[in-house]
Amino acid sequence: MDIFKALTKIPRQVIFVVIALAVMTPLLIPFGLPIKVMSKSKQLFAAIDSLGPQSKPVLISVDFDPQSMPELYPMLIAILRHCFARDIKVIVMALWPQGPGLAEMALDVIPKEFNKEYGKDFAFLGYKFGVTAILLGMGDNIKNVFPVDYYATPLDSIEITADLQNYNNLSLVITLSAGDPGWRAWLLYAQARYSARVGIGVTAVSAADVYPYVETGQVIGLLAGMKGASEYEILVHQHNYSKGKRVAVQGMDAQSLGHLVIMVFIIIGNIGYFVMRRKK
Amino acid sequence: MNITPDPWIWLSALLTLAIFSFLFRDNIIYQFAEHLFVGMSAGYLIAITWHNQMLPNLFEPLFIQGNLVYIIPLLFGLCYFARFIPKIGYLVRLPIAFLLGWGSGAIIPAIFQRDILKQTQGTLLVREAFSKWDTGLWAIIMLIGVISVLIYFFFSKERKGIMKPAANLGIIFLMLGFGASFGYTVMSRISLLIGRLQFLLGDWLGIIK
Repeated sequence: MDIFKALTKIPRQVIFVVIALAVMTPLLIPFGLPIKVMSKSKQLFAAIDSLGPQSKPVLISVDFDPQSMPELYPMLIAILRHCFARDIKVIVMALWPQGPGLAEMALDVIPKEFNKEYGKDFAFLGYKFGVTAILLGMGDNIKNVFPVDYYATPLDSIEITADLQNYNNLSLVITLSAGDPGWRAWLLYAQARYSARVGIGVTAVSAADVYPYVETGQVIGLLAGMKGASEYEILVHQHNYSKGKRVAVQGMDAQSLGHLVIMVFIIIGNIGYFVMRRKK
Repeated sequence: MNITPDPWIWLSALLTLAIFSFLFRDNIIYQFAEHLFVGMSAGYLIAITWHNQMLPNLFEPLFIQGNLVYIIPLLFGLCYFARFIPKIGYLVRLPIAFLLGWGSGAIIPAIFQRDILKQTQGTLLVREAFSKWDTGLWAIIMLIGVISVLIYFFFSKERKGIMKPAANLGIIFLMLGFGASFGYTVMSRISLLIGRLQFLLGDWLGIIK
């Protein structure tokens, strides 16, 4: 068979095996390729870094499911570490039904690293269905939407939520979003309607859609995919806030090599295509 | 190598491999894992909707606390089932009309604020944008991009004269946008693979820390 024709018809199983090897090798033998921290990640870091123990709580919304964990869960861990290291109070909630399990997984581990106490340093509101009613309702009175936390304790009897009224009582809202409901809804209701300060962490698929809102200042900072998560992990590490495991950083060598292999396949496929077209 | 004895991690790892087996070709192990996932997701959603939505927002206030106002949303909700009875099928329009009216009222002003007013403001060339040469340059490029893409989608005038190169420039900006989106999509998919391999090689086999 003509070599160029063969280039356009590489069996998909071969491509899968090559990509799997390219991704697996750096996980087993890390190269330590440098990771440049982008300005949009620095903006989110700076917004949280400017807060302290006296600041109003930060609200983190876990708007993703286990399928998006490799990209968004490391962000959740890194942001929690940053907040707790700076003694910032944290309130966690979820707009996705699978969110509470993931949030609880993080809250079982990270507060213990910093000796943080439930109710005093952080609280978990859980999941509620109906994004529009939830986010508009929170602009009016959060306790009407979440009268009790995830463990059925009234918010009035929890120290950090006792005086909580609406978005004005929060320093920052951060949504870690894998789709809808997620960052679009937070921008639509919390930011556009109630002027809440919103930071966003998204899967890489959505990143290009969020950029226009960062440029206009509607979003105070953006973490885009596993790269964004690794950048935040680096910033937290550089500032000596935590020496914990950096899962996203560990994956970035594999990310780079995986991209390289895909680029090679795209180039090979195009060469084959154009040569075959010329022959015709 | 330090393989975990945790049966849940074993189960998760085997199901991951079962799903990966589709990459070779469709097979019964993949189908089993897929059906298991669909069934469990549906069951989880039903349970969480009942405990998180129906119980606290309707059944407890109405039947336990005796708050009769909740009869109204109950009746509205029941109207959705009117579709199954042709004689009163028209009743389904009531909750749909309510939702459409309420939803439009809530969403339209916010969308104007988020996507039109703020985004148009962001495209304007203001003095602050030129405080540094690079931000000024990006502001000009963004303005040219927005205008040329808008011209590309302007179909009321034939593409002749200045309209033609402007629309072609719009295509270039659109292609750049699509390229960025595609690149990010590849990045996202590779991230998912990395996540699974980290789980298999780390949590399951204990090869990586």
